[in-house]
Amino acid sequence: MTYSDILMLLPVTLADGLVLGLVYATIALGYSMVYGVLGLINFAHSEIFMVGAIVSVEVMTYAFVGSDLHPIIQIAVAMVCAATVSGTLAVAAERIAYRPLRIRKAPFLAPLITAIGISLFLQDAVRFIESLFGQFIRPFPSIPFFDQQIPLTANDTISYKSVTILVIAGTMLLTLNYLVQHTKLGKAIRAVALDRKAASLMGVNVDRIIMITFLIGGILAGVAGVLYALQFGRVDPFTGFIPGLKAFTAAVLGGIGSIPGAMLGGVILGILEVLIGTYAPIFTNNVIGTEYKDIFAFGILIIILIFKPTGLLGRSTTEKV
Amino acid sequence: MTAGSQTAPLLEVRDLQAYYGHIHALKGVSFKVEKGEIVTLIGGNGAGKTTTLATISRLLTSSTGDILFEGRSITGLEPHDVVNAGIAHVPEGRRIFSGLTILENLEMGAFALSDKAEIARRLEHGFTLFPRLKERVKQLGGTLSGGEQQMLAVARALMQNPRILLLDEPSMGLSPLFVERIFEIIEAINREGTTVLLVEQNAHMALGIAHRAYVLKNGEIAMEGDARHLLSDDAIREAYLGEG
Repeated sequence: MTYSDILMLLPVTLADGLVLGLVYATIALGYSMVYGVLGLINFAHSEIFMVGAIVSVEVMTYAFVGSDLHPIIQIAVAMVCAATVSGTLAVAAERIAYRPLRIRKAPFLAPLITAIGISLFLQDAVRFIESLFGQFIRPFPSIPFFDQQIPLTANDTISYKSVTILVIAGTMLLTLNYLVQHTKLGKAIRAVALDRKAASLMGVNVDRIIMITFLIGGILAGVAGVLYALQFGRVDPFTGFIPGLKAFTAAVLGGIGSIPGAMLGGVILGILEVLIGTYAPIFTNNVIGTEYKDIFAFGILIIILIFKPTGLLGRSTTEKV
Repeated sequence: MTAGSQTAPLLEVRDLQAYYGHIHALKGVSFKVEKGEIVTLIGGNGAGKTTTLATISRLLTSSTGDILFEGRSITGLEPHDVVNAGIAHVPEGRRIFSGLTILENLEMGAFALSDKAEIARRLEHGFTLFPRLKERVKQLGGTLSGGEQQMLAVARALMQNPRILLLDEPSMGLSPLFVERIFEIIEAINREGTTVLLVEQNAHMALGIAHRAYVLKNGEIAMEGDARHLLSDDAIREAYLGEG
């Protein structure tokens, strides 16, 4: 491999990394926002994401195979369905499982264990339901439209699929950022994250804001599920685990609780992962294969956290008087 | 006691009992605040002053007894409903939103309000009371000094346009100059028609501006009466206010 060969791979690698990173970022926001308002790591979030992916596959399979509708409209319908189901599930988890623990002032480990319980429950519930109809490993129907290529540089092309994911995920992130930074609801979410008691003294219905936060996180996870299914072409009830873990990592890397941090963390992790997956085998003559990419990605995470435990954009916890 | 008031008091607390874990923090506290008054609740550390305010605003719910606001019981309400009924609480330690700007902090005070013109009017009013805040609207709340944070906390509560303002130790940790200033402002707010329930450890200053006072000791009302009378009574000062 010559120097120019290595350089030639760079644009495609970066584009792939950005696609993956934005999917991570979209999931990571749910972890970060819920952590922001409740101080809870919602481990069920990866399954909320998985359910979104499954719903999109079923919508595409049962409603749209052989359909004449424009593929973008098909994806849009799948997104609305996935976001609805995932958002509802996230709110249900909060109402049924987390809120009762909060009201009873349960110690902080209780909701954490509950989250893991919900996670396992959703995995097996989906597996059970899918098994009733056949294989629980579900292929995303192939749509030739998304395999078309458009030029990226003189030598490279990028698929419609990647562009679609970039546009949808990018739009979600910008919309969320606007919502949180520039609307009254966003101000209330930030206030609740900073000081729940003070927010209630401002007339904010804190439980309602917490519920809306779960809803937003669930919607984002549902959309991310659609994008993930579109990108990787196959989902199953255990699909949520690894991307969920990576998104959680991204949230911690960016500074958990910080919304720009979750976005930045996701993009960095996605790009790192693809860069290492592409270049590690080249530079080491295949001694270190693509499959080692996660070791490097998580290794870098560990190093960053040693030197900046609050994450890249995280605030150090402010002392409360 | 304000003699001969015909209508129900603005705020009346009846036989309030509250627990912090196993600690019996309030052992049957009763008092009332008439419309237009400044009433102060004074007493030493651990007397139950902060607990009383937290119970009124329902941040603390493990209590018995009744709290009547404009004649209606509010003990069944959530904290945000208490606020929207017209009770603003400036809590102990001020609890400014450190990561929000000063403007955003003030806007949070008017959270229940959607009328933009009215919000702007209240903001302007706040800035006339606290001109210092106007110069710094874009600054984060956490960057203010203790005195400025106290001003912001009071201004934020006034954005709710409350019927009654509950103030928890507004003088705590402030320089004497700021303490003077904050008490002047409390008097000004009261002259504009807002009723004030002031909890203070700085009994001398509180009695100086209040109409009536209650002395809390170990979770009970030990003494009550006209503020000026309490201020001039040496025996009371020694026994209850810890001043030599």
